[in-house]
Amino acid sequence: MDMSTNAVLRSEWIKIRSVRSVAYSLMAVFAVTLAVTVLATAIVGQAEAGNADYEPLFSAFYALSFGQIAAISFGATAISSEFVNGALRISLTAVPRRGLLYAAKVSVIGALALAVGLITSFATFLVGQMFMGEYAIGLGDTGALRAALGGGVYLALIALFAAGLTTLLRSAVAVLSTLIPFLLIVSFVVGDVAGDVAQYLPDQAGQLVLHQNPDGDLGPWTGLTVTAAWAALALVAGWSSLRTRDA
Amino acid sequence: MTSIDVHELTKDYGTTRAVDHLTFSVRPGRVTGFLGPNGAGKSTTMRLVLGLDRPTSGTATVGGLSYVSLANPLRRVGVLLDAQAAHGSRTARSHLLALAASNGIADRRVEEVLEESGLAAVGRRRIKTFSLGMRQRLGIAAALLGEPDVVMLDEPSNGLDPEGIIWIRELMRGMAREGRTVLVSSHLMNETSSFADHLIVLGGGRLLADMSMREFLDSHRRPGVRLRTGEAGRLHDVLVRRGFRPVPGDDGRWTVEGVTAEEVGKAAADEGIPLWELTELRTTLEEAYLDLTAGRAQFTAPATASAAHQEV
Repeated sequence: MDMSTNAVLRSEWIKIRSVRSVAYSLMAVFAVTLAVTVLATAIVGQAEAGNADYEPLFSAFYALSFGQIAAISFGATAISSEFVNGALRISLTAVPRRGLLYAAKVSVIGALALAVGLITSFATFLVGQMFMGEYAIGLGDTGALRAALGGGVYLALIALFAAGLTTLLRSAVAVLSTLIPFLLIVSFVVGDVAGDVAQYLPDQAGQLVLHQNPDGDLGPWTGLTVTAAWAALALVAGWSSLRTRDA
Repeated sequence: MTSIDVHELTKDYGTTRAVDHLTFSVRPGRVTGFLGPNGAGKSTTMRLVLGLDRPTSGTATVGGLSYVSLANPLRRVGVLLDAQAAHGSRTARSHLLALAASNGIADRRVEEVLEESGLAAVGRRRIKTFSLGMRQRLGIAAALLGEPDVVMLDEPSNGLDPEGIIWIRELMRGMAREGRTVLVSSHLMNETSSFADHLIVLGGGRLLADMSMREFLDSHRRPGVRLRTGEAGRLHDVLVRRGFRPVPGDDGRWTVEGVTAEEVGKAAADEGIPLWELTELRTTLEEAYLDLTAGRAQFTAPATASAAHQEV
């Protein structure tokens, strides 16, 4: 029997689910987002809804900003578990075709992040709106279904972005300690200062899909495509490092 | 044929040449000991064979194919490189299951190798709770998963208890008897001599010797005998008269170098001196190895080099 892609995919799935920190990070994408959604909407949801600049759709996905931290952590730790104590050597001994190993790993990370991302995104929207009383919107409202789908895709792309960077830098710590502050601080600050360029940042562009009427040059899906390009760039950079380096 | 063939293999790390135009073959049906001091290039050579590192020049193949081109390589080649490399968060079972799955090996084999390596009771424990010896057993279990025709083990007895050392020795000898190709690196001489049929010796990344254990020991043998007699004084005079230099030992035995048992036995018989014991000195692997490397001062470790200096 020839080495099949299915066999390697199954192996990568076993590897991901059998390292606790990786599996917990994935579950945290859902748990953190839902917890923040419930807290935020239950406590300040209706009060905020009275503000002049209130955006009902974007506010419904407010908690994804926290869930994305878990998504980054999932993408980063799923890869970095290969760089602990030369674990990669064992993996490459079993699957010496590096392209096959990397593609399988990235596919499993992407598929899991997408599945959990979509569930999270829809659950966040539906659960959050239960606390919004008279301000509640539904999936039938303009842009809501698109935002819920896009939010799930966004989480998957952010996880893949982190996975690619981790392959390049061979360390989850390096990725987490640059990416998380970047998303939480730099992107907000730069986003306010340099509006035009900032909309092309991986997080800003991708989150356009969560707005009912995104302003700026990018539309909701183009924005998500920009994020996909960032993820692809990171994955290719990771591949170029993995392909040539001694393990 | 499932031999490991290394041809003109060279690997530079920056300006350091770790492996230098190495050519040898590891043949099936015997245990080949891979010897050399730390840093001689043993592990690097193994990594090059496995395609983990890329050679600067030269080739390394298993059964005529590069390792990277093998379909389901774990079914052809069993490998233990570094027992510490298994991810500590996984259980022994899931570690092996992931490996088995990637090569289409039945899950049942995981239970079998856990049993065989004495880890059946701890299969569901996390690897980080394992002792070095248990990790080593897990690494060997992984090497056995695909029932391979070729096994490459880097320092397999590292951290094993005496029972484990006997187990791994019998395992390797058994695999060689079954016609498999077994390459085992070690820097422990006495241990290697207990299982190896053939030796490949590296020093400074170069091939110093590639021959059977017997040949290797014989080629570095310095003739000599150890003897015990009731008439030490007379025998001493007889031997000195014949140009030999007997040296008394602490245990009442005499050692005479540069002489065969035949010569001493005949001399003693001619003079009517009874011998209570007469044995030829046997070269240990360690002595033969040191003899080999002493002749190539640039390959010896600093400690042995300075020791050799003092003798001069």
